[in-house]
Amino acid sequence: MGKGKSDILQGTLALLVLKTLQQGPMHGWGITLRIHEISNEVLRVEEGSLYPALHRMEQDGWIAAEWGVSENNRRARYYRLTPAGRKQLAKEEANWHRLTHAVGLVLSVAGNQS
Amino acid sequence: MSWISRIWAFRHRDQLASEIDEELQYHLSRMEELKAREGMPREDARMAARRHFGNATLLKETIREIDVFTFCETVARDIRFAARMLAKHAGFTAMAVLALAVGIGVNTAVFTAYKAVLLQPLDGKNPGQLVNVFRTTSEDRYQQTFSYPDYEAYRDQNHVFSGVIATTGNEVALTGVESFVGSESSLGGGAAGAFGFRFPTVLHGGAEFVMAIIVSENYFQVLGTNAIRGRVFLPQDAHDLDAYPAVMISENYWQRRFHGDASILGRTVKLNGAAFTIIGITPHDFMGTNINVPEFWIPMRLRPLISGGAGTLHDRENNCCALFARLAPGISLPEAQAEMSLLADHLRTLHAPHSEGRKPLTISITPGSHLRPVNLSHDPGVVFAIFLIMGAVGLVLLIACANVASLQLARSAARQREMGVRLSLGASRLRIVRQLLTESALLGLLAGAVSMLMTWWTLRLLMVQIAASLPLEWGSLAVHVEPDLHVFAYVFGISLLAGILFGLAPALESSRPNLSSALKEEGGRFGLPLGNARLRDLMVGTQVAACLFLIIGASLLIRGSMRSLTVSPGYETKRVVGLDLNFPAGFGYTHAKTLAEARQFRDRIQSLPGVTSVAIGRPPNGGGLRTAAVGLNGSKPSTDKTARTLYYNYVTPGYLETLGIPLVLGRGFAADGSAAEATAILSESAAEELWPGKDPIGRTVVLDGTNQFHQRAELFPKGLSYQVIAVAGNTRASVPGGDDSRKVYLPLRADHLDEYPLLVRAEGDPKQLINALSKQVQQVDANVVVYCETLEDLLTSTPTFVVSRLAAIFASIIGGLGLVLACVGIYGTVSYAVVRRTREVGIRMALGASKGDVLRLVLRESSGPVGVGLVVGILAAVAAGRVLRALLFGMSPLDPVSFAGVGALFLLIAMLAAYLPARRATHVDPMVALRYE
Repeated sequence: MGKGKSDILQGTLALLVLKTLQQGPMHGWGITLRIHEISNEVLRVEEGSLYPALHRMEQDGWIAAEWGVSENNRRARYYRLTPAGRKQLAKEEANWHRLTHAVGLVLSVAGNQS
Repeated sequence: MSWISRIWAFRHRDQLASEIDEELQYHLSRMEELKAREGMPREDARMAARRHFGNATLLKETIREIDVFTFCETVARDIRFAARMLAKHAGFTAMAVLALAVGIGVNTAVFTAYKAVLLQPLDGKNPGQLVNVFRTTSEDRYQQTFSYPDYEAYRDQNHVFSGVIATTGNEVALTGVESFVGSESSLGGGAAGAFGFRFPTVLHGGAEFVMAIIVSENYFQVLGTNAIRGRVFLPQDAHDLDAYPAVMISENYWQRRFHGDASILGRTVKLNGAAFTIIGITPHDFMGTNINVPEFWIPMRLRPLISGGAGTLHDRENNCCALFARLAPGISLPEAQAEMSLLADHLRTLHAPHSEGRKPLTISITPGSHLRPVNLSHDPGVVFAIFLIMGAVGLVLLIACANVASLQLARSAARQREMGVRLSLGASRLRIVRQLLTESALLGLLAGAVSMLMTWWTLRLLMVQIAASLPLEWGSLAVHVEPDLHVFAYVFGISLLAGILFGLAPALESSRPNLSSALKEEGGRFGLPLGNARLRDLMVGTQVAACLFLIIGASLLIRGSMRSLTVSPGYETKRVVGLDLNFPAGFGYTHAKTLAEARQFRDRIQSLPGVTSVAIGRPPNGGGLRTAAVGLNGSKPSTDKTARTLYYNYVTPGYLETLGIPLVLGRGFAADGSAAEATAILSESAAEELWPGKDPIGRTVVLDGTNQFHQRAELFPKGLSYQVIAVAGNTRASVPGGDDSRKVYLPLRADHLDEYPLLVRAEGDPKQLINALSKQVQQVDANVVVYCETLEDLLTSTPTFVVSRLAAIFASIIGGLGLVLACVGIYGTVSYAVVRRTREVGIRMALGASKGDVLRLVLRESSGPVGVGLVVGILAAVAAGRVLRALLFGMSPLDPVSFAGVGALFLLIAMLAAYLPARRATHVDPMVALRYE
């Protein structure tokens, strides 16, 4: 999208959403906002992929949704982590670390040789 | 979880759409807010937010699809895939469906029969409103009957029922119709005869016994049933009935006895000697509140005509009638119960002081049923029988499930590779388990459909057979075995359950993630994966054990019931005929007359050619057992329930000789009838019970039957002292538990000869005598009805025989089905194992193994689980044998024929089932096997 901002890597959206929800139930808008802020405005979640992903994860049983009242007193759909979602998060986190570590290794070795 | 939410989503599509809309709208508005806060004008902010959002409609559609369709689609895909897999392996599918259908079928049959017999609602309009009315006394005992005056009070004073009816049944003598063709031949036969049950021959002059139900005049009105011809009784008929006694006939009897003669209405028949006019015909199979279809319906007001003085309707202490009622609209069972109990409390005060009816009581109202639910739950025999039957059919279902599960397991080994590929392509284990379960459930449902057809067809056939083989006097059996929603739901339920039961273990087993080995298929080539093989062995073992258990049980029971007929019961059964005289009420019989006729019968029969001797007394195994409390050394017997008792039987002097019961000690009653009244003959076990190891002759025993069961006018010992003059051989017990061989014979007084059966000993085959006997009956009195049976046939109606024979029939059918299933199971699993090991066998043979080696190898491995199953089955059967001991007629519960014979036979069959496929392994060509795959 815009300059200086990265599209979210394929497959990491779920990880980011799960991680965000680990801090507590949140609605879709809040999730985009929080990811945006915490990543120092680097990561931006597109609505077009966020909502389908949320609903898919709900069907997979990783997160559960219910209607609540938002901070500005409007009805909003809140998502929260389920136990299955917690497990999934741990798995994806571990995967991610392994992957980045591996990528890091490759990069450092390649750097030393040059 | 998720599929529930999806189903929810699918059913609430509109609501879902608006929710998605709301969710996105919220997002949009927050974004707009943000942009506005960053300084954008409100209108621009909205536009920017919308632009940013892109195509909102498309997004909504996408989300909706995720919520709704994923589930339905995957399920449909699962089912389509499952159907394809089943069709592809048609052989496996057919075998599995058949095996399951048998298992489900016997369960369905039992459930249908149970429902038809026990859960059938009362026969009337809106049966849901009909209820049974009982009394409960303070001792927590149920009383089913009320007196007629009490009935009238309940009927007229309650506000909770729209109608209360009273009924009572009676066997009555029908005369005044032309004689019935063929009625003198023996009754029964057909299926019941083939299974060894015999029914008595009825010798009648002009009378025949029929079942009549006496009903209050509002009976048909309250039930809402109309006559198919003529009319029903009405409450306002009461007075006309006195002048013109009327009766209704059942359609079944009209067809059977009068061949549907249209002129039956208005005809006069004599019931117990009184004339009645037939005014109407009740519908086909109409049972009202009875368990079967009676022949006649008689209005309550005319009960005195049928039953004489005992039929009075004015005696408040004479409990005659069972009550049923129809609930008024909007009244619940507890409300009805409360009001009726209040009424009961008031009525109690009208009963005589100290009478039974004076005791405190409450009224119980239960949903309408032909049978008294009370009796069922309290009768240990019924509970035991239901337990036995449910256990047996449950076992068959278990065998069937284990059977299909083992096939499935064998097959899943073959599908290991498919599963491995799917797992490694990212399918979750859950997904695969779901797929496999879908397949199993589909199999189960297919089997359910097949079994449903099988069951109804068989049951219908069976019911026709049973109905045709019952004696006429028992009324017509009308059991409806038609399909209905309950049965359908039941079949559907157990089919699914069976599907899941047998599908779960293999599904879990074969979806175990073990990707690399599955892909390389190492596990599959040399032997089978260990866990899989173990599970399969378990399945085979279970089948063998359950099946062996059933068959040994069946064999024990069959041999027991056969033994009961062949082992000498201690007296002559083949050459002695028992004649039971019945003097129909209402024909003006006096005691003097019946006594004179009984003497006349005896004397005439005694002089018939071919008759050796005649005696009077109850046959040893003919029912009507009576006990008396015993006191020794001249002391009065104790009156409490723990008192020692003997079974007494009043007999004429020739009794022991006629029956061929040997005298062990002393001399019998003097043949001239001059026996002193106060003498008695003991059976050996009675003597042993009273004076173990001592000579009983000359000792005295006090007998008192006052507190024991007997009929009102019957002869019974009233605390007199008897001197023992002889000891006779034992006769076999006829009740389970067997203490009725402790007998004491007492001399029958000359003025009670008419109350006991005549026992006639023939020189040759007594069946030859029956015609001559019949002639004698007609000459003496055409109204008397005589039931005539050899004592051998009578043995088939002793409770122990009936129970053990019925149980044997049932257990054999079930056990036979189990055997077939188990064989199919063993055959199937061994075949699959052999196919899977083709390559291994090929290598072995290439390395020099002989055909015999291979055969031995395969057989040895399959005999392991069979052997374990045999041991477990035998152990279980030993335990069952102890429970069944009472039905085995002294046969050891460890009967070697049953155990060794059945065990060996079973082993042979199991090995044959394994041998056939194993032999195939030896025909493997090593070269082909090595190139396999």
